Amino acid sequence: MTAGMRMLRIELRHNAMALMVPVVAVLFWFTTYRRVMAMPPLWNLRAAGLQMYSVIDFVTPLTGAAAWMGSRESRRRLADAVLITPRTRWARLLAIWAATTIWALVAYLGCVAVVYGMTAGQVSGGGPLWWPVAVAAASLPAFIALGFTVGVLLPTRFTAPIAAIAAFFILVLSTELIGHNIHSYWQIAPIVAFAWNTGSNPGVATFYPYLPDLSIAQVMFLAGVAVTLLGALALVRESRVVRAAAAALAAAGLAAAATAVLLVGTSTMDTHGMIRIADLHDAANDQPVQFTPVCSHTDIPVCLNPAYAAYLASTTAALEPVLNEIAGLPAAPVQVLQEAATYRMDPHVGEEVTPADRNTNGEAVYHLLLPVQMAGPTLTTAQMASQVKWTDGPNIVANFIGAGPGASQAQNAVAAALTMILGRMSADPDLQASLNEDAAGGPGLSQLGGLIRGTPAQPAAERFAALPAHARRAWLASHLSALRAGQITLSQLPGAQLP
Amino acid sequence: MNQNTTMNVEITGLTRRFGSATAVAGVDLRAGPGVFGLLGPNGAGKTTLLRMMATAVLPTSGQLRLLGRDPAGYGPRREIRRRLGYLPQNPGYYPGFTVTEFVEYFALLKEVPTGTVRRAVATAIDRVGLADRRRHRLRTLSGGMLRRACIAQAIVNEPELVLFDEPTAGLDPEQRVTFRALLRELGQHATVVVSTHLVEDVGAACAEVALMDRGRIAFQGTPDELMACADGQAAGDTPLERGYTAALDRARS
Repeated sequence: MTAGMRMLRIELRHNAMALMVPVVAVLFWFTTYRRVMAMPPLWNLRAAGLQMYSVIDFVTPLTGAAAWMGSRESRRRLADAVLITPRTRWARLLAIWAATTIWALVAYLGCVAVVYGMTAGQVSGGGPLWWPVAVAAASLPAFIALGFTVGVLLPTRFTAPIAAIAAFFILVLSTELIGHNIHSYWQIAPIVAFAWNTGSNPGVATFYPYLPDLSIAQVMFLAGVAVTLLGALALVRESRVVRAAAAALAAAGLAAAATAVLLVGTSTMDTHGMIRIADLHDAANDQPVQFTPVCSHTDIPVCLNPAYAAYLASTTAALEPVLNEIAGLPAAPVQVLQEAATYRMDPHVGEEVTPADRNTNGEAVYHLLLPVQMAGPTLTTAQMASQVKWTDGPNIVANFIGAGPGASQAQNAVAAALTMILGRMSADPDLQASLNEDAAGGPGLSQLGGLIRGTPAQPAAERFAALPAHARRAWLASHLSALRAGQITLSQLPGAQLP
Repeated sequence: MNQNTTMNVEITGLTRRFGSATAVAGVDLRAGPGVFGLLGPNGAGKTTLLRMMATAVLPTSGQLRLLGRDPAGYGPRREIRRRLGYLPQNPGYYPGFTVTEFVEYFALLKEVPTGTVRRAVATAIDRVGLADRRRHRLRTLSGGMLRRACIAQAIVNEPELVLFDEPTAGLDPEQRVTFRALLRELGQHATVVVSTHLVEDVGAACAEVALMDRGRIAFQGTPDELMACADGQAAGDTPLERGYTAALDRARS
């Protein structure tokens, strides 16, 4: 074993970071693991969450531990004894830094293994994202170098806690400074995985590959910072040759870090919601991910990306009443197919995700955008299904009937009637109760209701909805073309003729 | 002193200032193999002189040659350090290290050949009488044992120049006797400079002694010559203490 390895072995045995591992593990469990595992089982979502939360968990204590190790020789009054040894100061300090980094990386990769291992057993499609892991892992040596350098330069017992607190504030303040600016240099902060103000976004990186542009810049920056700081440690008390090498290393690190920051300043958000940096971009990543959708066994199949397979049952249950109502009729969609979210930049509010707007009247495929694909608070399965029911259910009906502004009163009345039926039927009573929680405020119902409320169409709609299912279907089968063409009047609706 | 002997320490007009305070003022000193005592009251400049000889502090002016090399250059300084052992006045330690790890750590820093590290560490620990405590963590040792562990780190590289600053502070009488024997043994092959204000250590182990006061050498000679300085007026319980007091009084008058 070489002298360097033997020194490293001794440092590993007596490194403060080893004592911090249990602390970091508890912190990780409290603030990262529980949050991440509460997220839907999607690789993209959990990888981004893991990067964001774990960096904060790790960086704070390990920067303090590194500062503690950096100040060790002076605190322990060994500065003179080690100074007068022939081994270069740089080699001695690097051994301490390396031991601290190894402990931190082992702890971090252990935490990643737990989260990814658990996630692997839960997800239904896709594969783990490694770039977010790489960014978080790269942040450890960089922040350790930062804390360690501060500890070497300011060797007091107060340096460690101050360094730990400073590291925390550096991370938190950096994200505050991003704001809505997609060009912000502060996106270089290692806790940024996606466009910052859209948050952890489930719609990203499932239909299209994860864009590593920002991650590459972040790793470049973090490596540059680490190399700069470690190089700076050898600028004094070393031979001319070592000082020259260290200066070159520090300059290269500084150049890499500065370049990375400048590159991040040129970032834009692509239509798939990911940060794109032109100079680091690989066009191959713009191609959609090929997948075979998972589909329900309903008359009109509901088909989702396999990554969202966990939502298939609830989504199908939410749409089943309306799909059963129109299945087999002319102009009914033959499939409900999940599609990728489209993102756009708004100059005022920053990044926005826009729902699918590709559905046209009478199209054979209804394009579905699940609410969990959009930014916002994490939804339970029931909440998500409720939103699907009251957004996409009426939309499917409206497309089928041709209802909406400019349509005839009869079209809007029939559409409203079919939408009312949505709230009455479901195979699962529990789900039904959950779905009906906000029935009165359902967006689709309100929209269609607004078109007919207070008009003769409203009682006509209620009477049409009250018809037996077979009667509605029979009438629609024979009159749908005329209804869609606007040739049916309210008085011709079957329910309207009832006393 | 025999001028033909190899001079491991050659100091000419060595001065060190800290701001406006002069800690060492134009010291001339030469020392070959053997044990060399550096006596003096507190604040005499012994520690600063020793730190300059240890290459921990650069002189403000004057010439310093150690083991035939000028420590001002990086290469020669590194070569000197490879052959140097130094025990600071207040030696620090890493409480969590075992005795073996602590001494091994310094053996590695002193670039002891990797293949001989294990043997060198065991020998150094054995020489200071801590063989039975080699697996104990330093935090569990008494003050005297800690000092011996620190002495072990200083001698682990079989140094040709050994600098001990107050090495017997905190040692019990039995340990001091043992330590003096170690000094004599080291002095057979190396130049051992012992800074102390305990004159009995000098009398027992040193072949030559220098007395420092206010940054200058007030006396240099053998312990017998120091004893001979004593007159009837000098204070002290032993002839050496009386010689020490008389030499100091003479330098100050």
